[in-house]
Amino acid sequence: MKLTLNIWRQAGPESEGQFETHALDGVSEDMSFLEMLDLLNQKLVMSGREAVAFDHDCREGICGMCSLVINGEAHGPVKGTTTCQLHMRSFSDGDQIVIEPFRAAAFPIIRDLVVDRSSFDSIIMAGGFISARTGSAPDGNAILVPKTDSDKAMDAAACIGCGGCVAACPNAAAMLFTAAKVTHLASLPQGQPERQSRVLSMVKEMDEQGFGNCTNERECEAACPKEISVATIAQMNRDYLKAAIFTD
Amino acid sequence: MRGNLGRALSASIGKKAWMAISGLLLVGFLCAHLAGNLLLFIDQDGSAFNAYAEALSSNPLLPAAELVLATLFIAHIALGLKVSSQNRDARKVRYRVSANHGGRTPGSATMLVTGVLILVFLVIHLLDFRLDDSTHGDMAAAVRKRLGSGSGAWTYGIGIAALGLHLSHAFASAFQTLGLNHPKYDNAIQLAGKGIGVVLGLGFLAFPVILYFSSGAA
Ligand code: HEM
Ligand code: FES
Repeated sequence: MKLTLNIWRQAGPESEGQFETHALDGVSEDMSFLEMLDLLNQKLVMSGREAVAFDHDCREGICGMCSLVINGEAHGPVKGTTTCQLHMRSFSDGDQIVIEPFRAAAFPIIRDLVVDRSSFDSIIMAGGFISARTGSAPDGNAILVPKTDSDKAMDAAACIGCGGCVAACPNAAAMLFTAAKVTHLASLPQGQPERQSRVLSMVKEMDEQGFGNCTNERECEAACPKEISVATIAQMNRDYLKAAIFTD
Repeated sequence: MRGNLGRALSASIGKKAWMAISGLLLVGFLCAHLAGNLLLFIDQDGSAFNAYAEALSSNPLLPAAELVLATLFIAHIALGLKVSSQNRDARKVRYRVSANHGGRTPGSATMLVTGVLILVFLVIHLLDFRLDDSTHGDMAAAVRKRLGSGSGAWTYGIGIAALGLHLSHAFASAFQTLGLNHPKYDNAIQLAGKGIGVVLGLGFLAFPVILYFSSGAA
């Protein structure tokens, strides 16, 4: 099929960016969205022009590197799907596709469609781990975890940290990401000793990184390629307020 | 980390929690306000409504109640403006295309706009009936006159419609903000929130509509 692509081009973090239009022929509906961009880049390079920079790594929906806002939707139009797992059969011949980088003050653009998501790393570094000594790996059943709790932890742990929630949020808030990490650890026995300090410091870091405030519009949940639920946000709010009010 | 209450409650989730608490208390006020107002329709001469207005204004605790109410409004509005401006700063460059992913509602997308409309309406409303001494005595007649006029009916209609839209998102949002939500009863809260928007919205809207069409101005 033949497409018209409107792609954001920006030479560097401080440069002015603008949209560039490319007509791309020969796109197969079996290509992934990123393979379609590979095809474009091949053509650009063959004609002596700069390839469009975009992030990707695993291309199988598990690493969280791919990004892009496609026709206004983070990770494109298919629910529960990363950009790398999105296929061109979701589009039609003759379509015009607008491709933009994730936009948030806390995700500065590095080049073209590549943004710096290290603000997420800072949130993790503020408490998204367990540092209480737990000794060597315990026996499989030494620490009993109720099935409902382990399910809840696993659902939250499905977050791949791609930042699609921030991109989709009208306020560029990082609540779904932070809440997924907080809920993951708060659901397991190993997470309990630092449960209160963790939520306080991760939220503090989230604010300091310049993400917005949640207005509960739930665009994040709708856009999340891993379909993390906003129930995690309710859990984080609950934990946060409890910790703020009751910790010593 | 020692929990610093002040700092924690002025952070993002803290600010939102204050907004949610003040907002929910304001919803409580609105329910009482609507119940009182409905006395206007109970008789023809407005004596029930006037007796209620008189009882309110002669209550020695009224100034204290008004102070609480004013504090709630001011806190909610100040935080609403602060949160909205931070949210604007969090995305400096806007998207060229921005689609609804499936979460936004007309109410949720317009909270700031409806909030500001409510504020403008609130000021007009206070000037009409709280700060205008000529209305004291026969309040029922003053309300009928103001809301029965074309401009009054439109002003109140628009202000109240904005309120209904604000509430259609606000009530459920406040529960989520306070962490009082769970998939077990999320649907129920969402439904209750829309219900409150509709009941309070239509309840208050009844006044300009009925008074306008029964005033002979129509
Ligand atoms: C009777 C009047 C009002 C009531 C009952 C009310 C109620 C609420 C409630 C319950 C929320 C949800 C809070 C949350 O999610 O935590 C909210 C949000 C909001 N309110 Fe109001 N509000 C009123 C008036 C106003 C006014 C006058 C303004 C501003 C000028 C305003 C601005 C906002 C904004 C911007 C939000 C969205 C922020 C957010 O969702 O976090 N509101 N309101
Ligand atoms: S490239 Fe790894 S998730 Fe898309």
